[in-house]
Amino acid sequence: MDKIQRTLKLFCPLPPSLVTIKESILFLSKGALGNVAKESFDKEIQFLRMLVLTSGAYNRQQFADRLGISVHTFDKTIRRLKDIAGTVQQQAAEEPNKAMSDMLRTSYYESADPLLLFLFRSKSLKESESYRLSLIIAVLQEQSLTSLEILDLCSEGMPEELSLPDEKTIRSDLKYLEQAGVIRRLAGGRPQKYTAHNDFVSELTDEELSDLYAFVDVMANTQVPSVQGYLLRDSLKKAMRRRQLPDGASDLFLYKYHYHSRILDEAHLYTIMQAIEARRKLSFHYFTPKSNQSYHSKNTNPLFARQSEGRLIEMLPLKVAYDHQYGRWYLLGYSSGRSGVAIFRMEGLTQLEESVLVNEEEYQAKLASLERNTQFSWLVDMGRPVEVKVRFFNPFGAKRNFIKERVLLQGQWGVITEQDEESFLFEITVNGTQEIKPWLRSFGSSCEVLEPSVLRRELIKEWKELAAYYEPVRKNIQLQDDGTA
Amino acid sequence: MNLFEKIFNYKMMAQLDEHGAIAVTTQERRWLLMMLEHPEAASALEADTLARLRQSLGMDDKLQDPERIRGIIVEKAGSVSSSIYHPLMRTLRRMIVNKSGMQLLYSRKDGTILPRQTGVPYKLEYSMVKREWYLLWYNRRTRSLMSTKLRSIQQVQEIPVSAEFFDQAAATLARQLDKRMQHAAIEIIPAYNKELSRILYAFSCFDKQVHYDEQADTYTIKLTFLGDETEYILSKLRFLGLRVRVTDHPFMKFRMREAAQKSLARYGLNLEPAEDNNGVMSAEAE
Repeated sequence: MDKIQRTLKLFCPLPPSLVTIKESILFLSKGALGNVAKESFDKEIQFLRMLVLTSGAYNRQQFADRLGISVHTFDKTIRRLKDIAGTVQQQAAEEPNKAMSDMLRTSYYESADPLLLFLFRSKSLKESESYRLSLIIAVLQEQSLTSLEILDLCSEGMPEELSLPDEKTIRSDLKYLEQAGVIRRLAGGRPQKYTAHNDFVSELTDEELSDLYAFVDVMANTQVPSVQGYLLRDSLKKAMRRRQLPDGASDLFLYKYHYHSRILDEAHLYTIMQAIEARRKLSFHYFTPKSNQSYHSKNTNPLFARQSEGRLIEMLPLKVAYDHQYGRWYLLGYSSGRSGVAIFRMEGLTQLEESVLVNEEEYQAKLASLERNTQFSWLVDMGRPVEVKVRFFNPFGAKRNFIKERVLLQGQWGVITEQDEESFLFEITVNGTQEIKPWLRSFGSSCEVLEPSVLRRELIKEWKELAAYYEPVRKNIQLQDDGTA
Repeated sequence: MNLFEKIFNYKMMAQLDEHGAIAVTTQERRWLLMMLEHPEAASALEADTLARLRQSLGMDDKLQDPERIRGIIVEKAGSVSSSIYHPLMRTLRRMIVNKSGMQLLYSRKDGTILPRQTGVPYKLEYSMVKREWYLLWYNRRTRSLMSTKLRSIQQVQEIPVSAEFFDQAAATLARQLDKRMQHAAIEIIPAYNKELSRILYAFSCFDKQVHYDEQADTYTIKLTFLGDETEYILSKLRFLGLRVRVTDHPFMKFRMREAAQKSLARYGLNLEPAEDNNGVMSAEAE
């Protein structure tokens, strides 16, 4: 099955109408995913999204030209990303000489490993620190120790080239690990003892662990949010390998029609949730996906100084919406501008920060208003509600009525009002018709829009134009002026 | 809570691996507790395991209210999912892991039950669109790849097979899948280049490559897919409407033309019919 590895090529062209994220590359290449005071990861998110969406085939020079960077910078960036991908993906590490594009392919049918997860593995960390932290976690796996005992074991275990830790450093490491929840302090008197917080895994029998792994795999792949699930899955997989359970070796589950880039937007999810819970507004620089640019670096590089900075927005966040049709996330809320209700695509958010508090009363009023306004949104449209009436035709001569099955599966709150052997009527109230139209059109001739008449006319016009796209080529091909065909 | 934790760093992960250690953070446990609240958990885990996990995670003060993230998320235009975790999944997964054979009793699309079939289970596949689990398996009699809805399976019984037989069957299936691969080229109409992002998002659930012709300012998406996915791709193409045009895949071109003509006929407009396609039945909107 390895042969059927499918491409979602990572290193690919960035078309001009999507973006120019010169800074992303620049940023990645400088100490990459690197040592800046405050890492925002905006650039990486934009960069990786582009890579995944526009999988294609520019050569190095074209790629670099398009981004306004040198080939050297481009190469450095690629090496860095290969390094991360190689560490994250075992398979890649085993084949160091594979062409870059091949190496970074994710196997489409075979593996449910979300490659983009390496965004969340890119937080910068000094080598001595990562070594020390992993050593601490390792010594606490099946025992509990005091900080002094940990210090001793770490001092023994540190490679010679790395500096030896002191007590203060170990204490602050323990504090961090405890905060992250990786280790916990045991109850009891001083000196305090610590142990790894893995009991819920280590207490499981082999069979239970396999079941849990399968459950986490399925839920991470079918539910939102998913990033923590994928991270947990990686750890459980390791636990299974340690016990030499065969399940961990390969992916038994395949997931079809996943929108991989959806996990990039989860990066903003928790910042937004915290702001909502704290009843705080958010401020950010917004790049509409329709503009040619989706990111602007704060770096004062004169080359890029002329670019705009996106639109500075301050708004009250209320909800986030996940659109299953495209695999995209939206931020919904209120901004103080004229429009009031505000909808933003998550992919356009950069430099997201919490700002001022609002009072509970205002928050509740705005939330109620948003819920009222989005009640009939097929996705997020808050336009005027329209009654849409459609006739769906049952498939002729088919063993089962897959048209009706799909309408029931995807028709949201719409209802089937009348039916006979040949067809059925479907009625739904939606905010505007723009968002439901593609869905209706996807049924082809199995769907006839009855009302509103505007939508009916639009579809007739579109089908006429589509028919013209596929007109058979005329037999009497015109000869060119010089007489050659 | 921050998804960009030091602890998730890729070098950290590699070093932990070297030490044979695992690290699980509060946020991962909170996610797990949230998922364990899901009714599906009862089908995935033994009641006793589930109770112990819930209890062990529930004792953690930091994991209070694990569902709060769900409270801010609204999911739109998704398919109604009947059940994510089919009861047979555990049985079948174990059989695949153990490289067993099986005897299968299942019903066809029209509801008739077939005589028992023997074969080898291969993979479990979930369609995010149909919200349905399928068993991909090797049919011993026909020596071919089968895809059967878990919902249609009445009974499955484990039967021992030799490791060689299992591996041979798996290799046969891999070859058959390979042979079923098709390619199509889809051009983005340049007038819609400003919607490139939306269009590429719509295709991001397929195996694809994108080519850009700088002179013509035209993007072409090359799709690679299994033959039985054609209907879903066609529905995506109709979904996107005027934004895209199939340039290379005769059957899909025929079907798009046919869809346009038949749709216009629904609205009382008749164009000249699409050329006959050897009686292939259309199954729009699958």
